[in-house]
Amino acid sequence: MIPPAGVFWQKNPALAWREIDDETIIISPNDSVMHELNDTGRFLWKNIDGRKSAAELAQLLVENYEVTPEIALYDTQALLEEMSSRKLVVTVPATGGVSL
Amino acid sequence: MNAPLGNSGRSPRQQFELSIGCVPLRLQMSDTQLFGAASARYAAFSDAAAQPITIALNDGAVLEGAPAEFSYEFEGAALRAFSSGIRFDGVRNQYALDSLLRVLLSWKLLGRCGFLLHAATIVRNGKAYIFTGRSGAGKSTVASLSPEGSVLTDEISLLRREDGVWRAYGTPFWGEFRAAGSNTSAPVAGIFRLLQAAENRVTALRTGAILRTLLPNVLFFSAEAEANRRLLEILSEAATEIPCYELAFRKNSTFWEVLPA
Repeated sequence: MIPPAGVFWQKNPALAWREIDDETIIISPNDSVMHELNDTGRFLWKNIDGRKSAAELAQLLVENYEVTPEIALYDTQALLEEMSSRKLVVTVPATGGVSL
Repeated sequence: MNAPLGNSGRSPRQQFELSIGCVPLRLQMSDTQLFGAASARYAAFSDAAAQPITIALNDGAVLEGAPAEFSYEFEGAALRAFSSGIRFDGVRNQYALDSLLRVLLSWKLLGRCGFLLHAATIVRNGKAYIFTGRSGAGKSTVASLSPEGSVLTDEISLLRREDGVWRAYGTPFWGEFRAAGSNTSAPVAGIFRLLQAAENRVTALRTGAILRTLLPNVLFFSAEAEANRRLLEILSEAATEIPCYELAFRKNSTFWEVLPA
């Protein structure tokens, strides 16, 4: 489920991750699962910093890839939802807390 | 080293000192049967080094109030690491002891730029060739095809970066050979991801692929984020600095012909 507009996205602080050789590898320490990201996922991952909404991340996609704003927003929301389901990213509400 | 210790109010404890991958350990226990089994099992790794990490087995003393820096439980046996020393409790046999030693080493190696890897290591011309892969990939096969005395381990290899050089150490942890590895080390020639095939072929792997090869085969038991970040740093260094290949090999010793010198 996509969270309401106005929330920001950040990397789950409980993760260990590394960019190496143009690949992003993420470890979930709790379950020892290794995650890999595709090109768009890597781009979003680099820009997810707890200070951007899904719309702002989508705008970055538009600026860096040949993609329409509608498709960028759709892809961004789909990827955030996927990453959220794997607990790779969390939302930051306006109050400043972290929602898992 | 076998020496009785004073331990007022309880059975006298004995201690055994060993070193695995240059990590000095001192096991203290009062269970004579377990002591005998441990002494025999780790005899090849017996070593009296300075400032060993002391491990009290089944000590029975009340746990300290301070939280453990690291803890792990496995089939009723528990490891707890305090600043004052290490506690292994609920250790009923040598197999439980062996398991907790692996867990402890995997954690202690973080501070020594090292890690444990499911891999067979063979020494050839003074260099360590490390063969890793999922269960059934051929680690034991490679070990069984290698000359007697050249196998550092057929099950769990210990890698450490020392003075800018990666070295592989044997460990006492058994594989199908049912025998302890060799308590020696050698500079690493390369890591080889095993794949059984009809023809021998070696293919260099990119850094990212190396990291993806190493991660599923590393022994690591901490769920703590900072420890996992440190592990990832160490593995990234290894992936960058150690040549790594996929080795498709026939089940005979001809695979050595295609390995880089």
